[in-house]
Amino acid sequence: MTTIESQTTSHLLDQHILADFIQHAGEIEHPREMIIDVLRAIQLHHGWVPDDGVELTAAILGLTPVEVEEIATFYDKIFRRPVGRFVIHLCDSVCCWTRGADEIAAHLQKTLNIEFGQTTADGLFTLLPSCCLGCCGIAPAVMIKQQFYGPLTPEKVDELIATLRQEGSA
Amino acid sequence: MSQTTQLLFKNRVPGKTVFFKDFCANGGYQGLKTAIQTMSPLEIRDLVKAAALRGRGGAGFPTGVKWGFFPADKPGIKYLVCNCDEMEPGTYKDGVLLGADPHQLVEGMILSAFALQTQVGYIFIRYAYEKQAENLRRAIAEATQAGYLGKNILGSGFDFELHVHGSAGRYILGEETALLNGLEGIRPNPRLKPPFPAVRGLFGQPTTVNNVETIANIPHIVTGGAQWFKDLALTPDGSGTKLFGLSGHLNRTECFELPVGISLREVIETYGQGMWKNKQFKACLPGGASTPFLTREHLDVALDFASLEKIGSRFGTAGVTAFDDDTCMVAVTLNLIRFFARESCGWCTPCRDGLTMVRWILEMLESGQGTPEHLEMLKDQLKNISGKSFCALAEGAMGPVAGLLTHFEQEIVDHIKGGRCPFSK
Amino acid sequence: MLTLTIDNQTISIPAGKTILEAAEALGIMVPHFCYHKELGAVGSCRMCAVTVHTGPMPGVKMACLIAVEDGMVVTTGDETVATFRERVGEWLMLNHPHDCPVCDEGGECQLQEMTISSGHGIRRYQGGKGTYTNQDLGPFIAQEMNRCIQCYRCARTYKDYCGGRDFGVMGSRNRVFFGRFKDGMLESDFSGNLVDLCPTGVFTDRTFRFKSRAWDLEQADSVCPQCGVGCATIPGGRLRELQRVRSGDNPLVNTTFICDRGRFGSGYANHPERPRQARQEDQVVSVPAALTALETQIRATVKQHGPEAVLLVGSDRASLETNWLLQRTAKHFGCRVPVLNAHRQRHQTAQMAAFDLSERLASLQDIRSSDLVLVCGVDPLAEAPLLALALRQAVRKGGRVVLYDPRPVELPCDADRVAVSPLALQELLADGGVEGRHLRDLLSQAKNPMIVAGADLLGLAGLQNIQKWAEKTSNKERPCLVYPVLAGPNSFGTALLSLPEQDDLLTRLASGKVKMLVCVDADPLLEAPEGERFAAALTRLEQLVVLDYLPTSLSRHANLFIPTCPPVEDSGTFINNEGRLRRFQRVLKPGLSLARTAPGEHPPREFSLDTPGSDPQPAVLLLQRLIGQEQPLTEVHRQLVLEQPRLAALVSLKAGEAGVRVAPAVARPHSLDPLPEQPAQTLELVVTPARYGGDLFSRYAPKLEPRKRPPCFYLHPDELQAHGLKDGDAAVVETDFGSFTLPVRSQPDMALGCVLVENSEAFPQLIPGAGLGYCVISAGGANE
Repeated sequence: MTTIESQTTSHLLDQHILADFIQHAGEIEHPREMIIDVLRAIQLHHGWVPDDGVELTAAILGLTPVEVEEIATFYDKIFRRPVGRFVIHLCDSVCCWTRGADEIAAHLQKTLNIEFGQTTADGLFTLLPSCCLGCCGIAPAVMIKQQFYGPLTPEKVDELIATLRQEGSA
Repeated sequence: MSQTTQLLFKNRVPGKTVFFKDFCANGGYQGLKTAIQTMSPLEIRDLVKAAALRGRGGAGFPTGVKWGFFPADKPGIKYLVCNCDEMEPGTYKDGVLLGADPHQLVEGMILSAFALQTQVGYIFIRYAYEKQAENLRRAIAEATQAGYLGKNILGSGFDFELHVHGSAGRYILGEETALLNGLEGIRPNPRLKPPFPAVRGLFGQPTTVNNVETIANIPHIVTGGAQWFKDLALTPDGSGTKLFGLSGHLNRTECFELPVGISLREVIETYGQGMWKNKQFKACLPGGASTPFLTREHLDVALDFASLEKIGSRFGTAGVTAFDDDTCMVAVTLNLIRFFARESCGWCTPCRDGLTMVRWILEMLESGQGTPEHLEMLKDQLKNISGKSFCALAEGAMGPVAGLLTHFEQEIVDHIKGGRCPFSK
Repeated sequence: MLTLTIDNQTISIPAGKTILEAAEALGIMVPHFCYHKELGAVGSCRMCAVTVHTGPMPGVKMACLIAVEDGMVVTTGDETVATFRERVGEWLMLNHPHDCPVCDEGGECQLQEMTISSGHGIRRYQGGKGTYTNQDLGPFIAQEMNRCIQCYRCARTYKDYCGGRDFGVMGSRNRVFFGRFKDGMLESDFSGNLVDLCPTGVFTDRTFRFKSRAWDLEQADSVCPQCGVGCATIPGGRLRELQRVRSGDNPLVNTTFICDRGRFGSGYANHPERPRQARQEDQVVSVPAALTALETQIRATVKQHGPEAVLLVGSDRASLETNWLLQRTAKHFGCRVPVLNAHRQRHQTAQMAAFDLSERLASLQDIRSSDLVLVCGVDPLAEAPLLALALRQAVRKGGRVVLYDPRPVELPCDADRVAVSPLALQELLADGGVEGRHLRDLLSQAKNPMIVAGADLLGLAGLQNIQKWAEKTSNKERPCLVYPVLAGPNSFGTALLSLPEQDDLLTRLASGKVKMLVCVDADPLLEAPEGERFAAALTRLEQLVVLDYLPTSLSRHANLFIPTCPPVEDSGTFINNEGRLRRFQRVLKPGLSLARTAPGEHPPREFSLDTPGSDPQPAVLLLQRLIGQEQPLTEVHRQLVLEQPRLAALVSLKAGEAGVRVAPAVARPHSLDPLPEQPAQTLELVVTPARYGGDLFSRYAPKLEPRKRPPCFYLHPDELQAHGLKDGDAAVVETDFGSFTLPVRSQPDMALGCVLVENSEAFPQLIPGAGLGYCVISAGGANE
């Protein structure tokens, strides 16, 4: 396995987490099963998974980068491109749609002045459509940092964005 | 609202999560203790079979029969995998259950593992359910602390370790063989069957994959007995209770534990408290996005597997999404098809490209650019995708299309004739 | 046998076959994409739908997935499946561009064929098409992802079948991308198979781009000459240029895969320095004049100095027919028998294969289905690349590979690899104590055991021990088979033709009686060890005559030179490692390619009746003319079989067929010499062919340059340290064949006690297969 240089990985993972991963990978029979865990950990630390994050994952697990990339590009909650500090996943599935998700989508795009797939100029928000979040009971809903917000109205969206902006500038 | 027996939701307090102490105080882990000390694995498997429990993940395959295929006595490592990749639109019951009472699942996993003699278990949980995953991790730690997990459980000589495995978003992982690939860290395309997971599953070893709610029912079956469990249902074909997740144009969109066989009308009117904004009921998805629509004429149908199959739909996950009479069913179907096309794993042609074509046809129709040829094309696509894709995803995607064509063809014709969506303002 | 009915035709077929295979056997073509006979069925494309009318679950099924059952009734053309297949065709074409007229795959596109056979013709989908940014996959493979129909064959080829780990499937839904993590040359030594396996124009041969349309190519069934495996190939050329090589299909040998060395290593045929004119003492002469001169000189020399004075030399890269004609020629002029292989040790080991092991030879097909393969002294990717793929298939089916070799052998599959020095390996094979017993037990207990034996590394003694092991571990139920890895495409055939007691070249030259040496498709300087001794002997000759098609240095030194033809310009026979006769057919006539006679302007401005550069003739024809017996090849074969009854199959052999084994011979008795002692203070010298540039052909293949590595000495890091060396230092290695200075490289996966060096055009001085050798290493020269 490739030696993992700490100075080149510190932007990707906390060093003790990296050490835990390396140790765990050495202990279990199928280290490859950790691939999502490692990618998620890098994303949590770095915000998204850059190329060297894929390469680090490969090095930890004894894989080639493309073997990690095959997985990283399959899942839509792993970001291989930079995203904003708050990624807003707006559910566009049927339950939220019945409760006005289209209106929320339009409102979010207008408020943030971006389209789906884009990031605000200040780097705070990225807006993404998402399949059903399991928030059918509180539709329409968004997920931000694995927290759910719903049922949303344009007014509640404004409040939420304001709160996040405040958090982001703090 | 009549009071119904609560098994899975018996500890549920909205806004709160029940952990070990409260769970045990209300009879938690009694089923496990009883079973592991007084029953053989085979007896438990037979009991589950007799209880006629059908899988709660959507397909409704009899759990006892599935367990019957499992080589429980085969030496070597075997796996029990719990499918908590609940991502079908309209389905959120497992999320609610694990948000309220994670030990229900943990006890069920241990009991099922004992029944199937598997040494290792995984709970595969969707990305969005991080809160639930945390609940499970805590519950597992508590159960381990109490000696219900780990080596020599309750002095029985039975060992079982349980892991929580997070996903990173994609509906296809709910397909059991795709889930196994996902767990292994390879591309989560569904696998060719046979061999079935019971023969070659996770890491090539015998594996059973069951839904959260299915497994959570096991301790109750063990405690209450097979006949009692069957009798909880209101119809002779049904068995047990079911978590119904209500959504869409209803006044109350919550999750309820209701007896199997309850009528659609009671669900809509009593539990859903009727249609939102005083509109009329037009249609619903009875069990998640892949189940063909029910309409007003079906309001008195009993919600169980057999009754819904009889009328060309499916019980699915009992996630009931209702639509009022101002809803364009072409638009609903388009929304659903967009979901399925986007969630296709890209492995087989009918799903990867066929759904793309169906989506385009529906877009043409909904936008008023449709012609009678597009309607014919839609029928033709339905005929040619159904039953011919690699896994059930495209098959499921065709459920709403089938419902649309069966019950709402006139609505399509109106789109074509009017050159616009008749419901658009 | 199970009997079923497909489209009202009845067929009996063994259990385990699929409906698709049964239909194929009946001549019913069921359109299919993802199914490939070597890659198997995965059921993803859904094209091969048929209707099964019987059984508990009748209905539409995928013919590639459903095993035949007795009494099954199947229709392949009923309306349901015909319509469905038409839809599959339509779906597959949703994103496909309509660039067929300019597509590189045009004319040999399976997508075109299958779309038409599916019945889809009119595009109904008017939605957007997906587009992709292509990657630069290096000099061999061009990628055009917009043409992709997501059949996954490329990934199954590259990853699953060939074991490559730098190529994969990315994305999902209708946005699946097949490629590398980042731009860059594909690393697999089998990357070119993407070209053959991709059913449309996504992966095409970059070296062939914009040269010819497929239907304009002259193509023929051939055999790759670049190692002893003898893979089926289909070279294609046009305008007198060999433009590409594709894999043929030989289920017993390479199936439908070839290695990159064979695919991209054919530049020798059009090498700018290829000698195309006869020369006598630096004067260009006509070929007939050269032949006349040759005949006169041979007669005069024999007359003056006796039968020893003229020595004819053949080679293991010359065809069976050429080597036999050489023997004929010797007889005709009353010379002593020719030396058919200048490399004495290689000739001896090839004779072991051709005679003593001939009753127990394994094919690559056997290896692919073996449960235990013991690989001794072979680096498959360098010496027999398709063997590496065969080992991988064995492992994929659950078999085990155990490998003993001093080199850092890379395999595209899991293997139990033990790094041992050549001498230790000889000791292991001679008896081996506990370890040897353990290995023999493994072989004895296996269901289908095989031993792969590297002739170069094991030498005669090693092969003799392998023969013993195979005998000992065979039983009444099943034999233990041996796959010998020999050096040349016709080592086996060359050995079979020769008498065992034949003297070797250097001994004959050392006698001083040889006045005239005639080398036919042979360069002992490059192809045999002790080049210095040979070079010294050359100075004592009166006449050096060379007939060859490669621009070797020997051909430049010849007093008389006559150009011959490489296999693509000739028809003939090779016998591969496992004794299989393989016929190759002429693809092109010799001649300077139009690209060279008319650079940038077409047609050429000068006109003549002769094709420029067309003087070269097949060596067989030249030798026939020399002895005044021009005969068709069929007659050559008839006479050859009279002399060599083991080659009876020659007469009916056809190009493009799987080929026939030579009849076995009775093993000869051996006495085993004791192993020599290793001289004190020495390291063992291991000379191995470079993966690219190790065989003579690939040295003259410019396309392969990107895969070639600079020469160096490899040592185990402990050994480096012990000798006070570090990675990158220059070192002097003193051997029996001279001292050499090269940089040293640390190689932790190789055996201790060894110095490893690759033989290539950059380091041609040491030749593999020269037997156990020793050397002394010391720091020296300037640091790189």
